[in-house]
Amino acid sequence: MTMRIVIVEDSVLLREGIVRLLSESGHEVVGQLVDATTLLATVGELRPDLVVLDVRLPPTFTDEGIEAAVAVRSEHPTQAILVLSQYVEERYATELLANDSEGIGYLLKERVADVGDFVDACQRVAGGGTVLDPEVVAQLLSRRRRGPFDDLTPREREVLGLMAEGRSNVGIARMLVVSEGAVEKHISSIFSKLGLASSDTEHRRVLAVLHYLQHS
Amino acid sequence: MDSGLIKGMLGGSTAELRQRVETLTVSRDASVDIAETERRRIERDLHDGVQAQLVTLAMDLGMARQKLEAGNDADPAVLALVERAHDDSKKAVADLRNLVRGIHPAVLTDRGLDAAVSSLTARSPIPVDVSIALAKRPPATIESAAYFVIAEALTNAAKHSNASLINVDAHVVDSTLRVEIRDDGVGGADIEHGGGLSGLASRVAALEGRLRVASPVGGPTIVLAELPLPADTWPPPGAPVA
Repeated sequence: MTMRIVIVEDSVLLREGIVRLLSESGHEVVGQLVDATTLLATVGELRPDLVVLDVRLPPTFTDEGIEAAVAVRSEHPTQAILVLSQYVEERYATELLANDSEGIGYLLKERVADVGDFVDACQRVAGGGTVLDPEVVAQLLSRRRRGPFDDLTPREREVLGLMAEGRSNVGIARMLVVSEGAVEKHISSIFSKLGLASSDTEHRRVLAVLHYLQHS
Repeated sequence: MDSGLIKGMLGGSTAELRQRVETLTVSRDASVDIAETERRRIERDLHDGVQAQLVTLAMDLGMARQKLEAGNDADPAVLALVERAHDDSKKAVADLRNLVRGIHPAVLTDRGLDAAVSSLTARSPIPVDVSIALAKRPPATIESAAYFVIAEALTNAAKHSNASLINVDAHVVDSTLRVEIRDDGVGGADIEHGGGLSGLASRVAALEGRLRVASPVGGPTIVLAELPLPADTWPPPGAPVA
């Protein structure tokens, strides 16, 4: 599927690089913005499949991107947004995912260097999935060390982290070099230890995990 | 020595001495603020400049690698070189990110101490329990000193303590921000001979604060920073509310 993408990035070098990367992967960059001031209007007009958005933008270079993402989602609740940042922070992830994590991604900017994985992440977010950077997942997990998390085995923690990154069972099995059946067993054990109802779809599963991480 | 003799030795009146102390206090406070502003400027410059360039370089190498891998006729020696350059560039980006974060974490400015401590706990090999209860944001210089005390204490604990749990606690008592980092490790920490904590002690002292470390052999190790807050915005309990 060819994606129609809007990019918001103030660094010319990086913006042009990402445009090149996405174009060469067969996607269409329909809009390029240097700040988020006109993002809401641009999204309303172009209705892109995905917005790729930097966190630090003019004029204050702090967290404009996070605010813009939240504003776009409140106007267009289904707009898929991938937020890129030089640093990823648990607090921003929590703000981004506060209402709904469908079609939200939050990755370190340097992940663009893994070209195939990055385009794959764009596609997952555009398709309504949730993609979180492993660094954010580590922060979320490290804030909740006490309680039921103590009961998780190291392997189960690993699986939970990969789930929160938005990986499918097949993806997790491939990364850990185990069978899908083994992954399913780990996941049902995690859900029972955390007292969560195991749910049918992968997306609901990620939601349950995130909800647990943010609110426990 | 009586005060008259001191005055005689210093060659000035009490009023002159008071004036001098005031001048020094003002210039020291200005130095502290300038140092804080400079750290932020360096962080911003690195972010806007070399970090963006390195990320773009790593991305271009990633694209080159992908093209070489997709074609069947790539020279294996060239492919190996590009692969290595790609991996090295990604590592350089990650190293620079950690370095810049060590100069000044942007999230500290944007969201405060509690949010900034999250990434420290994520990198700590020892589980950390965080309890940071601040009704409002302290001044940037104080917040920054508190952050770096916590960062250094966690680093030291990871290196030397052999602890199984670290508690980080920050709250305000009597117009003073108290930051305590306690581990259940082996103790015996040597902070007198250089090291990051002695540098931080000066930084804390420049804010009229105090940094103390208790680390008896056998543990526990407790690092306590006390940072006085401006009394006009953080009145002591019982003070009339403005």
